[in-house]
Amino acid sequence: MMKINGIHIDDTFAEAFNMRGTRVIITAQNLKWAYHAANAMTGFATSVIGCGVEAGIERELAPTETPDGRAGVSILMFAMGSKVLMQQLETRMGQCILTCPTAAAFAGIESDDKISLGKHLRYFGDGYQISKMISKKRYWRIPVMDGEFLVQETTGMVRAIGGGNFLILATSQPAALAAAEVAIEAMKKVPNVIMPFPGGVVRSGSKVGSKYPKMFASTNDAFCPTLKGAVKTELSDDIESVMEIVIDGLSFEDIALSMKVGIEAIGQLGEKSGVKRISAGNYGGKLGPHLFKLHEILAK
Amino acid sequence: MMALTFSLKKTPSQPLDCSQLTANGLAGLSLVQMKNLPLAKSNLKVADFFEISGDDAQCIIFTNSTSQLHYIGHKMTGGIITIDGDAGDYLGAKMQNGTILCHGNAGNRVGDQMRRGLILVDGNVGNYCASRMIAGTIGVFGQVGAYLGFAMKRGTILLTQTPKLHATIQSCGKHTLPFLALLFKSFCALQTKFSEIQSQRVERFAGDLACGGKGEILVMSPTEK
Repeated sequence: MMKINGIHIDDTFAEAFNMRGTRVIITAQNLKWAYHAANAMTGFATSVIGCGVEAGIERELAPTETPDGRAGVSILMFAMGSKVLMQQLETRMGQCILTCPTAAAFAGIESDDKISLGKHLRYFGDGYQISKMISKKRYWRIPVMDGEFLVQETTGMVRAIGGGNFLILATSQPAALAAAEVAIEAMKKVPNVIMPFPGGVVRSGSKVGSKYPKMFASTNDAFCPTLKGAVKTELSDDIESVMEIVIDGLSFEDIALSMKVGIEAIGQLGEKSGVKRISAGNYGGKLGPHLFKLHEILAK
Repeated sequence: MMALTFSLKKTPSQPLDCSQLTANGLAGLSLVQMKNLPLAKSNLKVADFFEISGDDAQCIIFTNSTSQLHYIGHKMTGGIITIDGDAGDYLGAKMQNGTILCHGNAGNRVGDQMRRGLILVDGNVGNYCASRMIAGTIGVFGQVGAYLGFAMKRGTILLTQTPKLHATIQSCGKHTLPFLALLFKSFCALQTKFSEIQSQRVERFAGDLACGGKGEILVMSPTEK
């Protein structure tokens, strides 16, 4: 049995899937406008189920880290297949970055698989767009009303993993959420991962299937505290709220590290925080090819 | 690998056609073959005028160069050519890709019909610079002669002072262009007067309006932020 400061760690695992991922660097006149662009671009991108992609801001970039020497942020975006990723990236570039004052976009990852960043967006320039090859990379300059929109032609697409997760089981809703917030703050410092849900936290964990034939997924009743007496529950009497943190990342190691950092941050709070147990969501290990075993991750 | 260096032995009394002396023009040639290469349209050979050293044709250097050396970088498809001294006419004409750095002055028709690549001249250039240019980038730190950008289709010309322009090249006003940050950053690795430019503030001229007007002349204002 594993415990951290009195918090029980279940001997279970998170089950994750193969995805396609990309990184885009967004810069602007200042961080405020880089965030406006990035927040729009990663908005409504919590789950592939309804949004097509899962996206989030990976981290802030100092002017020395960006191609054009301005402040910026890096964005990670994941989808179940390359086609959806390409289509979503183009749509979001067009509606969120092209439109955002002073914003520019650059490739954030190298790969032989290239997907369009500004390749098709350039036609917005109606013939006035200008291509420039600089240091063997092609950029497009598109005249817009605030000046010129600068965008790199392509970015790289890589194999990635989505669906790493863990569950926080606590004695009250405020306690579960406070612990989740602490975990998210720590996990934001880990590179190559994003937590795509609102504030990084999801409260509606799901199970496969439903009593309604048209629904592929439905509420994870075994972890719903208000159903403790009505269903075959996973919760003990003292658990009143459960929060989940879902992680998408570029590699197994990145997600494993992020899970470890998050769980350990909650561990620091100890049992007195109201958190009693840490668990993980899976489908019996038969659906996803990647299994993140909590005990193994924490032992590393 | 050392840069392939063509060192001019004596000032030629007649113009020399150097169009063969590019990475693609010299590909696969031995040193002996290079030396025996005829300087086009004459009976003269490369060895009559140049001392050759080094072996890396992707990186060619002309030393003691004068304005009698014409067609340097003609139709080049890659690599870098550095000219320590002056260059003659048609520097980088019909260039397909690559980089030419000229530390002295260059003659007429710099970058004539150039398609892609970069030419940076630290000194002055003659008339018809960037004539019939298709695309690419030409920078001139010194002065330019008449008919700059005559019949240019696309491409960028970077200047440090406003030249006399013909009627089909028109000002689009002063602007701060974001792509210049990337362009100037790429110049940092090159040893040229352009390496120190920081300001993205330029006056933009569009032209040649008689040929679509998609080319541009950017006159930098190094003091403005």
